[in-house]
Amino acid sequence: MKLDLSGLQSFPSIPGGAVDDLGEDLFAPPSFQLPACSDVPDSRASMGGYISSQSVKKIIEINPYMLGTMAGGAADCQFWHRNLGIKCRLHELANKRRISVTGASKLLANILYSYRGMGLSVGTMIAGWDEKGPGLYYVDSEGGRLKGTRFSVGSGSPYAYGVLDSGYRFDMPVEEAAELARRAIYHATFRDGASGGVASVYHVGPDGWKKLSGDDVGELHYKYYPVAPTPVEQEMTDAPAA
Amino acid sequence: MSIFEYNGSAVVAMVGKNCFAIASDRRLGVNLQTIATDFQRIFKIHDKLYIGLSGLATDVQTLYQRLIFRHKLYQLREERDMKPQTFASLVSALLYEKRFGPYFCMPVIAGLGDDDAPFICTMDCIGAKELAKDFVVSGTASESLYGACESMYKPNMEPEELFETISQALLSSVDRDCLSGWGGHVLLVTPTEVQERTLKGRMD
Amino acid sequence: MLCRSDPITLRLVFDAFLGVQVALGFSFCYYIFLPDLPSLPRRPSALPSRSVAGRRNEPILAQSRMSRRYDSRTTIFSPEGRLYQVEYAMEAIGNAGAAIGILARDGVILVGEKKVTSKLLQTSRSTEKMYKIDDHLACAVAGIMSDANILINTARVQAQRYTFAYQEPMPVEQLVQSLCDTKQGYTQFGGLRPFGVSFLFAGWDKNYGFQLYMSDPSGNYSGWKAAAIGANNQAAQSMLKQDYKDDFTREEAVQLALKVLSKTMDSTSLTSEKLELAEIFVEPSGDVKYQVCKPELLEKLLVKHGVTQAATEST
Repeated sequence: MKLDLSGLQSFPSIPGGAVDDLGEDLFAPPSFQLPACSDVPDSRASMGGYISSQSVKKIIEINPYMLGTMAGGAADCQFWHRNLGIKCRLHELANKRRISVTGASKLLANILYSYRGMGLSVGTMIAGWDEKGPGLYYVDSEGGRLKGTRFSVGSGSPYAYGVLDSGYRFDMPVEEAAELARRAIYHATFRDGASGGVASVYHVGPDGWKKLSGDDVGELHYKYYPVAPTPVEQEMTDAPAA
Repeated sequence: MSIFEYNGSAVVAMVGKNCFAIASDRRLGVNLQTIATDFQRIFKIHDKLYIGLSGLATDVQTLYQRLIFRHKLYQLREERDMKPQTFASLVSALLYEKRFGPYFCMPVIAGLGDDDAPFICTMDCIGAKELAKDFVVSGTASESLYGACESMYKPNMEPEELFETISQALLSSVDRDCLSGWGGHVLLVTPTEVQERTLKGRMD
Repeated sequence: MLCRSDPITLRLVFDAFLGVQVALGFSFCYYIFLPDLPSLPRRPSALPSRSVAGRRNEPILAQSRMSRRYDSRTTIFSPEGRLYQVEYAMEAIGNAGAAIGILARDGVILVGEKKVTSKLLQTSRSTEKMYKIDDHLACAVAGIMSDANILINTARVQAQRYTFAYQEPMPVEQLVQSLCDTKQGYTQFGGLRPFGVSFLFAGWDKNYGFQLYMSDPSGNYSGWKAAAIGANNQAAQSMLKQDYKDDFTREEAVQLALKVLSKTMDSTSLTSEKLELAEIFVEPSGDVKYQVCKPELLEKLLVKHGVTQAATEST
């Protein structure tokens, strides 16, 4: 068996028999054509009814191969993602290979679990590319951790799921997946008062993540649903002085 | 969450030179969920008198219907339209009637009175009148509306400028409020004509 | 019969005695009722005074002197089956200024004769005999105005209540009926006099289009193509019957109404000061409109239809 190690340059080669489980999976090219995880969050931060920011970076770049999304408490998410970034880098230094998405998400889930019941509020997705190809996990502050092909988190997630589930196929081309994700976020921002701002789309591939787009939802609405301009019925005239 | 914030709303009225404008958002929500984006909160009482009702949608509609009831009887008996000041007192009386189980609405009244002098006023949900010479605001976006109006308002604006000002004030205010927005609705009233316009706004 | 050692019987009798006294106010009735004692209810307040009086009508001599005056109360029929008070009320209306209503193809018209015309009279209202009840409904009045005011107010409130409840205009017949229910009540309950008013209702609704109704003090109402109330209404009615055509326009209806009124009115000349004309029609926009004719226009109409005297024409 001829091993193709081109995708794993920075890693030391693993003796074929050393890790039985990994076997072919590890070294074979991905068995599907679509190595895509598209992450599309909105960018609104609200405090009660007040919108504190309309341009929050809700996708946190953990490292060039891994992204985390933010929902719940902004501070909690920001802090623990940065913390996760550190831990991932340390893992990389110690083991001379990048951490798997599975491992990273488990790391985060364990931390969050240790704080369970203490009021942390984190709802996140960890998306990345590792030796096994694409990986997507859902992790929350209640201790939950799920692997899946698509997730949606946050107050607008039910609306996004509606669009996502109705349009999702496993073998979608990247463009279609990106558009579906964008639409899902747009519809969530439309229905949900606490979602809004910018819909950013990221693509994670074998060479790491790349930002595809960042659309202002305010403009996106009128792109999806153009308004026919109504002619002015009456021109305004000056009011005569009383 | 307060019952006043259940549906979300933003209403504002401004006075210009011999004219006034009254504007509202178009969202109807249930807490954070948007149900409709064509909800009406500004109602015509007669050609030169309008009322905007912020707060709980069901009470908005019922209160409006009761006001029409009373105003119609007044018209039939008196053979004339109500003056804005009189109407404000009627609204106030109707609200205080329910002092211990109020309508969850805060009205904004705007009209042209004798000699086409503009009149604007607002009230709390039990009818305490608050008259103003410049602008009045109401609804879940009222804080940001106060800020926007305070900085954008100028006295004696001509109709076109007034329209621009009230529209910008409304749109920028609701962009800071989760519970209102999704487009706007503006009425510009001069002694000779009424202009009604729908504003495109951010739909998030 | 009355045993002193039996307190229950004693109280029974005493209660009954009190009750009869209260109910009839005649102490001598006590003797009349004595034989009935065992069947009397124990509580005096439960004694139905009217049925007792009815059952024992003939022995009450004090009342028999009044018994032929069947008109003293509105709620009593005469032996011939008539309600005299109601008929007297109708009589009063016969002397009031006349009003005519005619149903046309494109609307309904109401014409009324004003009785009081004094130069000193200052009224706040635009009309004296015509009243708008709602946007789609108006009425003409003949009779006692003070009574009419009460009923008109009730009608307006009713119409608004309906709109409040259903968010649509009140159907014409329903409004007429609700008002007639009020009138009817005064011929049956309470011992008050009936309303001395007849109405002509003109209106439009989406189910039956243009409609004209007439009502009288008894609370009777009926729909008409042309109707007259007030002075000489019978003469007017028969003239209308003769000249009415089904395909009248509003203008033709006005012409007929003016002609009939000019012939049935007591006064010699028909002038615009003595007349009122109102119309209900649907505008091209689809809105129902109630419009009162201005005196100047009315003057022109009178001349046009040749009803008015030469004096006005020459000037």
